[in-house]
Amino acid sequence: MTGADRPAAVPGGALTPDDDSEAGRWGWAAGERRRPIIQAASRRTLRRRRLIGRVGRGLCMLCAAIGLAPLVALVYYTAERGIPGLSVDFFFHAPVPEGIPGGGVSTAISGTARIVGLAIVMAIPVGVLASLFLYERRGRLAGAVRFGADLLTGVPSIVIGIFAYALFVRPLHHFSDVAASFALAVLMLPIMIRANEEAMRSVAVDLWEAGVALGARRSRVARSVVLRGSLPGLVTGNLLAISRGVGETAPLLFTVAAPTFAMTLLIYADGTQPYPDVQQTAWSTALVLLLFVLVLSGAARLVASRLTRRAR
Amino acid sequence: MTTLTGGAGIASIKDAVRLRHERPGGRAYAGLRWGAAGLFVAVLLGLVVSVAIDSSQALAHSGIGFLWSGTWNPAANQYGAGILVLGTVVTTSVAMVIVVPVGLGMAAFLSELAPRWLAGSLSTAIDLLAAVPSIVVGLWALLVLSPLFGNHVEPFLKSIPVLEWFFHGYAFGPSILLASVVLAVMTLPTVVALSRTALSGVAMADREAAMALGATRWQIVREVVFPGARSGIAAALTLAVGRALGESIAVAMVIGNSPAVPHSLIAPGATLGSAIVNQFAEAAPGIGTSSVIALAGVLLVLTVAVNAGGHALLRGMGPRRAAGDGAVR
Amino acid sequence: MTPASVAAEASGRMPPRQATASGPAVTLEDVKVSFGDHVAVRNVTLELAARQVTALVGPSGCGKTTVLRAINRLHDHTGGRVEGKIRLGGVDVYAPDTDPELIRARIGMVFQRPNPFPTMSILDNVTSGLRFNGIRNKAMLREAAESALRHAALWDIVKDRLNQTALRLSGGQQQRLCIARALAIEPDVLLMDEPCSALDPIATAKIEDLITNLASEVTIVLVTHNMFQAARVSDNAAVFLLDEDRVGELVEVGPTVQVFDSPSNERTKQYVTGHVG
Repeated sequence: MTGADRPAAVPGGALTPDDDSEAGRWGWAAGERRRPIIQAASRRTLRRRRLIGRVGRGLCMLCAAIGLAPLVALVYYTAERGIPGLSVDFFFHAPVPEGIPGGGVSTAISGTARIVGLAIVMAIPVGVLASLFLYERRGRLAGAVRFGADLLTGVPSIVIGIFAYALFVRPLHHFSDVAASFALAVLMLPIMIRANEEAMRSVAVDLWEAGVALGARRSRVARSVVLRGSLPGLVTGNLLAISRGVGETAPLLFTVAAPTFAMTLLIYADGTQPYPDVQQTAWSTALVLLLFVLVLSGAARLVASRLTRRAR
Repeated sequence: MTTLTGGAGIASIKDAVRLRHERPGGRAYAGLRWGAAGLFVAVLLGLVVSVAIDSSQALAHSGIGFLWSGTWNPAANQYGAGILVLGTVVTTSVAMVIVVPVGLGMAAFLSELAPRWLAGSLSTAIDLLAAVPSIVVGLWALLVLSPLFGNHVEPFLKSIPVLEWFFHGYAFGPSILLASVVLAVMTLPTVVALSRTALSGVAMADREAAMALGATRWQIVREVVFPGARSGIAAALTLAVGRALGESIAVAMVIGNSPAVPHSLIAPGATLGSAIVNQFAEAAPGIGTSSVIALAGVLLVLTVAVNAGGHALLRGMGPRRAAGDGAVR
Repeated sequence: MTPASVAAEASGRMPPRQATASGPAVTLEDVKVSFGDHVAVRNVTLELAARQVTALVGPSGCGKTTVLRAINRLHDHTGGRVEGKIRLGGVDVYAPDTDPELIRARIGMVFQRPNPFPTMSILDNVTSGLRFNGIRNKAMLREAAESALRHAALWDIVKDRLNQTALRLSGGQQQRLCIARALAIEPDVLLMDEPCSALDPIATAKIEDLITNLASEVTIVLVTHNMFQAARVSDNAAVFLLDEDRVGELVEVGPTVQVFDSPSNERTKQYVTGHVG
């Protein structure tokens, strides 16, 4: 190992081979001594390391199977117990008193449709406009609205139901569709606002700015450029919010007059009774609800994936 | 001299000029936007104010001790949220004990260990689980799981000598344990989806550095990927807790509605959410209703606090992810 | 100033490093790497001399990095298929009974952008390779860490903050930390993939000095698109260019001075002279 011709020591405490003789622990010779130890350890522990890896992977796979099980069980049992109760009567006849055959849940289906429909009418315009507000404006109010939307997504649906009760049912002394729809709208609104804003932000910013720069009226720009461009994302977000709203029970507990007027309430009322034939109605209604929600979510996802595919 | 021919050309220039001068429409649109935002804020504030006002009667009656005092006995005119808060905490905790290993394990499987086709379809499946209405989960838990638990699972757990302390007493199905399982099922999708994103977001560069040092795949996952995803996983777990706290209907169906100090996990119990569901209809007007609404207030404060924390963690995760995505060629 | 003159001056400053009697550290025979149907680089036959610096040079996209990563089997996880033979000191790297983890534990790698583990302290970063390979002895870990940090010219800077996060270091310091991390496992070969491309000129100069210092004890393979850098620090140069099918191939290899000053291949000459000015 030559020493005399080496370049000067690099600052930072680096070593030249001159140091090797003195600082035996830091020099290259020490490293040469360590190398076989390291190689041996590497070889020796490999089998154990790989075994641990196999065990770990197996556990993770087990967790994945456990995680999948509830969905499978839910769909299976709901289908198995719900299908027997499905019939033409089921869909198109109103409930009948105990003991008389031929009853159905048509009032619940139409009731849910009415309530959700009204909720959609209430929520979508406000949601779109509010998200346009968030999209276009910066500043503290926008930040507050966004923060508020995030918070509201976490508010339990039962609290929203109580709010609707206090606002509509108690002062008017009767239950109403409006109260129920209001509750669902409040539930869906923050989801829609955040999803809409995300969808709009993924539309090219320059398109919007170009439109405004050309002097066009802000609303025209908004309508034609941003909305059209983000339409798939908007559809996805709103569909998911609606799917959430359809499945909610707690807000309806305090705002709907009777379980026969909403599917989710019917499931709750019938499901908690000890009579198998009443429970049958609950299962079948649950099946219909589950299928509807899964189809809606599936459709939303389909739109979303087509959106990302087109963006590529 | 240019002649302005071409109808389309003239029309569009004229249009642009006209549009520029049309203010009123613009003002109406701006007004609508402000109105929508304002309406939203009003609803938000209205919610808080309404709950606060309606709770005031109960708080006046029972004092601030309402929040932690232990007795909920409407018949005896005793209202205290404490026992229910305890029940909520217990069910949520047991749910997390179940969901954390299963959820993280599944997230690791999806992100690191599964082939792409499998990871994609399992992810979709878990997202579909998130879409299942809570009432359907509750129905299934009540009519399928509860008998199963009462007849098989709970006696089995009782028989294991070590776990006696947790599981004793008569097993008849509806229980804190069952409620916790239901909560676990409902929060699993949140944990899996967010944790998976966090794990996948760990930079390729960090993984390759470990690989180049001779680490096995599992060592990379355990020593590099999981630590790197810490904040995202924390966000996922926090948001899952927030969701569990607020779940009311499914829990109400399987917990047995028995506000008492839980001495065993297979005994029935009650949570804030389940109490509101079960007690609202029969609550004595005035104090009774106000107390139930006060419970909703407590629930509101709890969930908002936890969710705010979760969202803050989620935002903290963002910038690092963007910076860390350095695939090295 | 041409690469040739720089190379000549660099080699004049220090005596030529002799290849050791033990033969080349790594040999590549007719190596070809493809991703699916797309061939990235082929016709690579190369001997990497032990205890010398070999630079893989050429424009971007000619397969230099691909070849580098084939040596320590990083393509196992990116789906690249490696054909041909690669030998590390006699061991066939891609033999069916060869364990990739063991191969990688004998090779150190430094990447284009510094990538210290963000959740580990400086000390844990340096010792990470040793710990991955099963070394637990605290004394040995500390010794190895100090040794590696000294060789990377970083010890004085970090010795008082070994338990702090590595992210507070500057870019150049982080890269030297990564070099220390690679050195700590006492590798036979050190692979460096454009280690200075994300660094400022001062940090770059420090790392080049480091390479020069390390070279007599560690075999170094350096991928760089900067011919002047190759001229400054390398003993041998391997030139990669695109062939007419736009597939990367090894065009010429030899002592750096010779490759830059009097290359035998016409395309090499065009590439080398094209870099002047």
